[in-house]
Amino acid sequence: MNVSEKLEAIKNEAKERISIIKSMHELNDAKAKYLGKKGMFNDVMKLMKDLPNEEKPMFGKLTNETKQIILKYIEEQRNLIEQAIIQEQLNKETIDVTLPGKKFLLGKKHLMTQIVEEIEDLFVGMGYQIMEGPEIETDENNFEKLNLPKDHPARDMQDTFYITNDTLLRTHTSPVQVRTMLEKGGKEPIKILCPGKVYRRDDDDATHSHQFMQIEGLVVDETTSMAELKGTLLEMANKMFGEGRKIRLRPSYFPFTEPSVEVDISCHNCNGKGCNICKGTGWIEVLGAGMVNNNVLEASGYDSTKYRGFAFGIGVERLAMLKYGINDIRQFYTNDIRFNSQFKK
Amino acid sequence: MKVSLNHLKELVETDISAVELSKLFNLHSSEVEETYQLVDATNLVVGYVTEKVKHPDADKLSVCQVDIGGEISQIVCGAPNVDKGQHVVVSKVGAVLAGGFKIKKSSIRGVESNGMICSLAELGIDKKFIYSDGIYVINEKCKPGDDPLSILSLEDEVMALDITPNRADLLSVMGVALDTSTILDVPLKFKVPEVKSIEKENPVTVKIETKNCYSYYARVIEDIVIKDSPNWMQSRLIAAGIRPINNIVDITNYVMIETGQPLHAFDYDLLGSDIIAVRMAYEGEEFTTLDEHKRKLTKEDIVITNGDKSVALGGVMGGFDTEIKEGSNRILLESAVFNPTNIRKTSKRLDLRSEASIRFERKIDPKRTILALNMAVSLFHKYANGKILKDYKFEDNIDYSEPVINTSTKQINDNLGTNLSTEEISDILRRLHFEHQINEEVLSVILPSRRQDMETYQDIVEEVGRIYGYDKLPLILPTTVSKGQLSESQIFIRNIKNKMTGLGLNEVLTYSLINEKRIDEFTKSKANFTKVASPMSIDRHVLTSSPLNGIIDVIKYNNARKNKDMFVFEVGKRYNEDEKIVLSGALTGLFSETNWQGTKEVVDFYTVKGILDSLFESLYLGHVEYEPMIDYKNLHPGQSAYIKDYSGVIGFIGKLHPEYAKSHSLKNVYVFELEVDKMLSSRRVLKKVKEINKFPEVSRDIAIVLDDSTTTKEVLDVIKKAGKRMLIKADVFDLYKGSPLDDNQKSLAISLTFSDTKRTLETKEVDQRVNEILGILKAKLKAELR
Repeated sequence: MNVSEKLEAIKNEAKERISIIKSMHELNDAKAKYLGKKGMFNDVMKLMKDLPNEEKPMFGKLTNETKQIILKYIEEQRNLIEQAIIQEQLNKETIDVTLPGKKFLLGKKHLMTQIVEEIEDLFVGMGYQIMEGPEIETDENNFEKLNLPKDHPARDMQDTFYITNDTLLRTHTSPVQVRTMLEKGGKEPIKILCPGKVYRRDDDDATHSHQFMQIEGLVVDETTSMAELKGTLLEMANKMFGEGRKIRLRPSYFPFTEPSVEVDISCHNCNGKGCNICKGTGWIEVLGAGMVNNNVLEASGYDSTKYRGFAFGIGVERLAMLKYGINDIRQFYTNDIRFNSQFKK
Repeated sequence: MKVSLNHLKELVETDISAVELSKLFNLHSSEVEETYQLVDATNLVVGYVTEKVKHPDADKLSVCQVDIGGEISQIVCGAPNVDKGQHVVVSKVGAVLAGGFKIKKSSIRGVESNGMICSLAELGIDKKFIYSDGIYVINEKCKPGDDPLSILSLEDEVMALDITPNRADLLSVMGVALDTSTILDVPLKFKVPEVKSIEKENPVTVKIETKNCYSYYARVIEDIVIKDSPNWMQSRLIAAGIRPINNIVDITNYVMIETGQPLHAFDYDLLGSDIIAVRMAYEGEEFTTLDEHKRKLTKEDIVITNGDKSVALGGVMGGFDTEIKEGSNRILLESAVFNPTNIRKTSKRLDLRSEASIRFERKIDPKRTILALNMAVSLFHKYANGKILKDYKFEDNIDYSEPVINTSTKQINDNLGTNLSTEEISDILRRLHFEHQINEEVLSVILPSRRQDMETYQDIVEEVGRIYGYDKLPLILPTTVSKGQLSESQIFIRNIKNKMTGLGLNEVLTYSLINEKRIDEFTKSKANFTKVASPMSIDRHVLTSSPLNGIIDVIKYNNARKNKDMFVFEVGKRYNEDEKIVLSGALTGLFSETNWQGTKEVVDFYTVKGILDSLFESLYLGHVEYEPMIDYKNLHPGQSAYIKDYSGVIGFIGKLHPEYAKSHSLKNVYVFELEVDKMLSSRRVLKKVKEINKFPEVSRDIAIVLDDSTTTKEVLDVIKKAGKRMLIKADVFDLYKGSPLDDNQKSLAISLTFSDTKRTLETKEVDQRVNEILGILKAKLKAELR
């Protein structure tokens, strides 16, 4: 067997043996056996001294080539083994991804807060300030300054929780408007939104609550008109019930506004065709509004020959009930967590 | 106000249906609650009973042969009053009666029956309007096959208006006719009654002795015959929701419905004098009203007297002693105007609301007082054979001058946002029957006396607006320019709600009114409280001192429904402390759980504390401390703490006292409450960013043994002080009690982190600082290195 045949035999043997190695440890042994200081090539190199000088370079080249090839076999096998190891790890680590995840609690804001914040944001965007005031109010702020003197028949419309003769639980958030007008001293325009809790002497049932949430709006300026009121209410209707609403104003009566109107919004459920939410009329009644009665402006220091105002008031629970088909107003106050957590915000 | 369309169409030129008219009323006048047919039945004819025999197999049934116009129909009838020779109402086969009841050809105990002979109730007339049981026997002239509804004047539609307090004018058919005329722009057909009186003088003297009676008119009618009023009048009263009684009472009610002017008829022979004197009642005066109730009066009630004794409660109800009855012969008819405030107070105090008081308290048209009187006496003449004595006697203190309101085209357009011309506005005023003059820009409108609610130009704006149509107003946004924004505290509260929900708590909303007994359940000392004067129930009586009262109810409610894991908060008020805003909450149950991995975390004190710490951290509240607290009677004295910052106590946290929890069927509930304003004012909002330290940190862990009663806060305070600036962090990472330690000992393991912003620390100096810390711990707290 000549030298090149010998090298060929080593190469072939190496190829065969390396290809069946399964572990890194064996592969390292094999590398030492072939290419290490005491490896097989040591024996081969010993043959070199017996070769004629002119063949020595050829032999060296051939030997190096063979070493390189064997090294390549080893590296190829190393890749295969590494892949196999990773594959095995992956197999071992495979989980049932359909098992439930760990729960991270996220609470929900109360539906009343969600709606109030939504309406507040709309009006802040239109340049309104959000104003709040006390719930324990004076008869003067809650009634008298709103064109509801004692003995006014319309006081019967709002049965009141009195605390003393002169103090009461506010029946609407209008006293906040009175306070704001007094604060501004009749001198500057007003654009405010007043959300808050209000109280009426009602027996609690599916549609009545002795406590509820109201949002009122007030604009006072030298240019204010019914048309501006109508435009503003349409914005709110579109925000709360989706774009494309229509609004309808019907004559009504409130002591604090003149003209006074009831405001209907085209039904969001049936788009005006008539359904059980709008009781077949195509319209849902959502709020009351009007131009501020001059007596109200004057009582709070605004010159009614110069200034005009519009105001509107909306019951938030009623709005939510219409929007989500809720049939019992008490659900907002019992706070069954299965009810509250349906509103995800 | 329920309006008979037949009645309405007698006063205004139109043939519109109730449905169409109601659509227009909704948009231009007043809300219409509903419209309906007075009798909602089909396929009815007049039948003539030609033969009646007893049913062969049933004692109480009769077999009738009924001529229904060109054919004889056999009908089995159960009414005892059916008889041969009667004209009756027959619903033929195929008829649908009130409530959807269908008439079919049938066999009743073997005898064929083709229809039904009806009572008024079966036609859908409310029982409260009907006196006789049994079938209705028609007394009017008619023949078989005729339409019985037309003969009985029951072919009518009703429009039920829901009238707002200002539109008292719509409490009369005349008023509704006026608005109908305006909306449809059609003429009115009002008639002036013709009064045929006899020569005999009216003997009555009228004296008004109180300013609360504005006018009083009296007329006397003799020789009246009491009987039923005509069918048409009865059915119009029924349509209006008023029960027919007899011709006299029905006429006074009918005229009231038409004109809005309440009338009252006295039996003149029972009056006891020829004097009518109106005065205020004496305090404590007793009086028996028509409904046989003895009433105790006050000096705010108006009474009509015979100069001595009260005979009527003015404007509210007549007296029992002078009531018109069978056999009454002479009547005195009253048409008067009273002070609305007195009427309102009287009817409210006595809980006595009559058709009269409803109208008086909302102000009637004083110009219809005489009209109504004349209308009624002419009807008495016609339908009760009465002889009308000459003239009415009266006293009248009303100023009938008509107020004028000045406005302008510009003012109306400015208010409505419209661009109407003066001619258009004038035309609307014409349709409204408002007399007016136009002088260049100024519109002078004479206020009609029927509109007692109108006072200012804004009322004119409203009238023009509603008739022009609010649907035609343009839609624009206010031109007012202003800065829209939330206040700092509004943003802070929103922020709190965002963080709390982010930390896993659900927001709740509870009632502000609670039972008085619960007022100091979550206050440190006896709470003062605000009570409402007339609560709806004992449980909603006083304003709460803490949202926790309501939150406890929420937890109870949910626990009872198997919602055991509850983490809730509310931003509410302490109403007893000037409506101070507080953040309150309660947690109980499993805070986290992954069942299949066998891990779960039950809410304990430290869960809640951790949540609050995260909240504080996110709100820039950097120096919050917890201090053991025993001051709240319903909190566990060993598991409660004050929460403090620089400014002092800002709130508390604690476990419900086991006894309190048990009394509410609760277990392991942790609560907290924080004052929002204090949190807002003690924030240290980031102004300038802190450089990140580029030198490495060095950590050392120590474990010390010390007395169990020494708090972690005390330990950490000592460590922080001893560690000086070099120590940047000290965290407890283990707590151990038990063998081999003594019973009153514990071991704490604490991780210390050291660093310097200017250089890398050397091992030696860190070790030395740790030794110093241990030395001071030993000296101050007798803590030994373990």
